[in-house]
Amino acid sequence: MGEIVIGILIILLCLLLYFNSDGFPQINETHLDPGSYPRLVASILFILCLLLLIQKVRNMISGRDERIRGNFRDNLNYIWTEYRLVIITFAVLVLYIVFITILGFIISSILFIVATALIIGPKKKKDIVIAGTVSVMVTLGLYFFFETALNVRFPNGLLF
Amino acid sequence: MLELFVQGTAEIFQFHILIIILLGVVAGIVAGLIPGFSVTMAIVLTLPLTFGMDPVGGIAAMIGVLVGGMSGGLITATLLGIPGTPSAVATTFDAYPMARKGQPGKALSIGIWASFLSSIVSFFILITIAPQIASFALMFGPWEMFSLIVAALTIIAGVTGESILKGLIAGVFGLLIATIGADPIVGVSRFSFDIQMLRAGIPFLVVLIGMFAISRLLNSIERTELEKDHKKKQEDKIKDIKFILKPKETLINVVKRPLNLIRSSVIGAVIGAIPGAGGSIANIIAYDQAKKWSKESKKFGEGHEEGIVASEAGNNSTVGGDLIPTLALGIPGSAVTAVLLSALMIHGINPGPLLMTNEPSIAGSIFIAFLVASFFMLITQFLGIRFFVRVTEIPTHILVPVILMLCVIGTYVLNNRVTDLYLLLIVGVVGYFFAKYKFALAPVIIGVILGPIAEVNLRRAFMANPDWTLFFSRPISLTFLILAVLMILFTVWQTRRVNAQT
Repeated sequence: MGEIVIGILIILLCLLLYFNSDGFPQINETHLDPGSYPRLVASILFILCLLLLIQKVRNMISGRDERIRGNFRDNLNYIWTEYRLVIITFAVLVLYIVFITILGFIISSILFIVATALIIGPKKKKDIVIAGTVSVMVTLGLYFFFETALNVRFPNGLLF
Repeated sequence: MLELFVQGTAEIFQFHILIIILLGVVAGIVAGLIPGFSVTMAIVLTLPLTFGMDPVGGIAAMIGVLVGGMSGGLITATLLGIPGTPSAVATTFDAYPMARKGQPGKALSIGIWASFLSSIVSFFILITIAPQIASFALMFGPWEMFSLIVAALTIIAGVTGESILKGLIAGVFGLLIATIGADPIVGVSRFSFDIQMLRAGIPFLVVLIGMFAISRLLNSIERTELEKDHKKKQEDKIKDIKFILKPKETLINVVKRPLNLIRSSVIGAVIGAIPGAGGSIANIIAYDQAKKWSKESKKFGEGHEEGIVASEAGNNSTVGGDLIPTLALGIPGSAVTAVLLSALMIHGINPGPLLMTNEPSIAGSIFIAFLVASFFMLITQFLGIRFFVRVTEIPTHILVPVILMLCVIGTYVLNNRVTDLYLLLIVGVVGYFFAKYKFALAPVIIGVILGPIAEVNLRRAFMANPDWTLFFSRPISLTFLILAVLMILFTVWQTRRVNAQT
């Protein structure tokens, strides 16, 4: 199933890029304009994905691929127990990136590390202390290393 | 050739460069021995740190990480029976039983020596072959370069991942997303759809970090993965293992059977030179061959020295092999060398057949850095192994957020753009699902880095002569294209045969 979805998405991407590859400004009488190469690549990818789709659909019809077993709710339950941490961690990562511009780099990084450590790992008092210490040390260490040695300016955020 | 070395030596033997290589080796070993943290991840995250350095320093750091990383997997493979990286899978076959029999020190020492000596062998293979290929490649016109890229991508697609079709899709997908952003010849902005984020294109480093670090980390916190990890850590308490290294005796042991060492190193170097194939394949093949050729093949798997030597020699010598196409042709054979090439590009150095003639000091420093890193690897492994072992005690729930944060920093540092971070999230999710459904990630990366080069050569070819049949009538170009077709036919035939057997 996953392959089919990925295949269809890539095909859509190919179509999108293919039909947007006209009308780039031409400079002179070259034989390939800026859109030709993307069109070529998109066409090849389109054909490859089509082959994959045909292959997978044929496998599915002939029953060689395991189809979705059980009912919908069981599946959902399974996905939730298996991928719960992945989904939550990713959500926290998204929040972290959004909050970098608001809270600034240092505060959001410290919060991110503590939060993720507690989500994935055990949540006793000792663990909170360890996660907190590690996060402060790592964040400040990296911050000063990059600011002084590499002259990187991190976002300060709106509040501070 | 000699001039190359003189220049390289002068560049590398400066105090701060030597320190950088040493740090790189240590970082590589640490990355290699933590299961779930790959060498690729380490090298990807090293790249941002090198932006502020001069080109030689940056490259030296990465070579250090690469050489160290290939030998780091040995430690966990021997003591825990878990390969720290895929390149150390075969090491577990014999080193772990030997450690179990009460000789962990001996197993580790043999592995370290094999790693070191095979690095030296592959160094000599590298310096003899790379210049030849480079001077041959000087005859290449844009037609040959384009066909070469087609062949390289096809081979990569064939040797990585589940099927060649998926591999090709991954590779061409890389080519396609590389067309977003400025056109490489006239500079027209393409496919940005007026989205701020896409106007500058999709930076290579963002794709790398997203695909190799973010997606891998998300994968490692799936429930089954976590449970596996937890179980392994409980089985063996690594700090209880006591061992004494015996550098001198084991050196004699390893050197006494030079044939096995050299054969495994050559296998590793050859496999390393094939685009897409690297340490993870080489160690298995080298082990397999050693077993076939050995007089005592029955003892393999029970803690035989030759098995350890074969596996560790096989994986470490891929580094030298991998550098051959990278330096001689500008075609990276693996995700790791792709990072190395992108580091060169960031510093304004164009990889390709002309690299050795135009930038002898850079090419020379890569050679010398490789040699120096091998020596540092030997020394740090023997002196520091006790400390390295402790690294495996760092719990996953601390490791994952810290590395995720490093990914975010690395992405941000590239262009100081917050929009790149949003792109990182998208690429991370794409990489996660690609890996989940067994589309190999290495072809995507190599597609992204070779895409602009392929396009430039294709369009130059048509500017020089609009006749497209030239791709088929120029002999070298035709050879590459035939190679690509043969690769596809061969893998299709192979899968047919495997399917028929089952």
